[in-house]
Amino acid sequence: MHSLTNLQNVLDVVVTKSTQAVNAKGTLLRILNKETNRFEVRAAAGLGERYLSKGPVSTEKILSTLSKPGEVYIITDIWNAPRVEYPQQTWDEGIRMLLDVPLAVGEQVTGLLRIYLTEQRELSTDELDFIKTVAMQCACVIERVGLIQKQQSRFDYLASQVEKGSSLGRMAAGIAHEINNPLAGILLYSSNMCKKVPKGGPLEECLKIIMKETQRCKSIIQGLLDFAREQEPEMALVNVNDVINSAVGIVENEFHLRHVRIQKELAEDMVEVLLDKNQIEQVFINLLLNSLHAVDDKGLVTVKSTVDEENRKIQVEVADNGCGISKENMEKIFEPFFSTKATGTGLGLAVSYGIVANHKGDIRVSSEPGRGACFIVELPMLPFESLDKERI
Amino acid sequence: MKPLNVLVIDNEDVICTACHLVLTEKGHAVDYCKTGKSGLLAMARSKYDLVLLDMKLPDMDGMDILRSLKDEMPPLRVIVMTGYSTLSNAVQAMKLGAADYLSKPFTDDELVQAVEKVFEVN
Repeated sequence: MHSLTNLQNVLDVVVTKSTQAVNAKGTLLRILNKETNRFEVRAAAGLGERYLSKGPVSTEKILSTLSKPGEVYIITDIWNAPRVEYPQQTWDEGIRMLLDVPLAVGEQVTGLLRIYLTEQRELSTDELDFIKTVAMQCACVIERVGLIQKQQSRFDYLASQVEKGSSLGRMAAGIAHEINNPLAGILLYSSNMCKKVPKGGPLEECLKIIMKETQRCKSIIQGLLDFAREQEPEMALVNVNDVINSAVGIVENEFHLRHVRIQKELAEDMVEVLLDKNQIEQVFINLLLNSLHAVDDKGLVTVKSTVDEENRKIQVEVADNGCGISKENMEKIFEPFFSTKATGTGLGLAVSYGIVANHKGDIRVSSEPGRGACFIVELPMLPFESLDKERI
Repeated sequence: MKPLNVLVIDNEDVICTACHLVLTEKGHAVDYCKTGKSGLLAMARSKYDLVLLDMKLPDMDGMDILRSLKDEMPPLRVIVMTGYSTLSNAVQAMKLGAADYLSKPFTDDELVQAVEKVFEVN
């Protein structure tokens, strides 16, 4: 029953065995689809096609008057029972008694097992116990499969992000290389011409704009190459609080000029972890500058470090009380070239994402538009065994 | 500075003609080739003071050309040009004997300064 490889096989066994156990005509098993909020038929035994195609059953109908998890709801009056949505079809199918058993883990109903009997009769305690046990076990299996699917989809999502990152990186490196050649032509000719036109005239001004914009392209491409290079971090045991302090030191002046306060809440029990100081400092600088740009004057940016001993991770949070991030932008925020700033290259967070991924860490964002944003960087702590080695 | 005989090796027309324009205006004589092989042939035929060498050529790797120049024509000065600038590239090129390193795109002043610097030192 706990074979998780194929949920459908388990459900088919449940409906067949339940039917046999109480000598019923058939059994129907519905599972709640959380996306549509409907109880969908996932397995059936012993029922005619016509009956099965009678139409949908509303979620309200299923949940109303349902017995508590672990109990069986017995319906003998098919014509007047509030839970029977299609009494005529049920009667025509030769059904005279129904057993409804909620499939639930805790109080959460995730499905319903309905057993159809052709005669009204008393059920023995053994029969009822059997059905209750099957329902309980079945609910556990459904829940576990749900959890596994959730993990799988999270894994697939992360894998696709990593894949997207590296293929984009390769493509970007190729494009950058090809673009620098024509840019070199533009810059050489425009800088050369600039010396030949009248000083202070409109031509000189235009040529200077061309030169400036070409240099801008160069810096965008350099940023892209840094991103694409996927440089291996140079790891050393470092206290992340020191990295935060040095990153804050670098951007402090910028914050001061815009009257934005930085508040530090650094864990006193912070442990040393393996990281590339320069790369992680770059990540914090990127996050701090992003926060600075998101808040108005007199805003507040909070940097917090914590130790998550249980999950063997350290966390650094950079939160602001600024404009926040809209839902559609949240999905694209770590993609290269995505920027909401007029002069942004859209590489800061993409580079940060790559750096943290290279550290086998995680970077996440949560935000409500208008109520600020919070970026969380997680880095793994040393495994216990290597800590012992360090001491030796 | 005294006029130099310069050879530009780059498969991009625009780089060759732009370097030609900038350096001839400074009084230097400039030839250009668009492949590694034709560049090596040109160097065997004529005497050059300086080569501006692109690292990525259609037929040969710039590093290989640099290696063979270092072995066969040690007094020749080489300035390496590349569109894919990384620090390790630069270090590698300098180790192989390049006199300087220009990362594309660069301005006419940067080109002229790089050339002058190489010959000032010597």
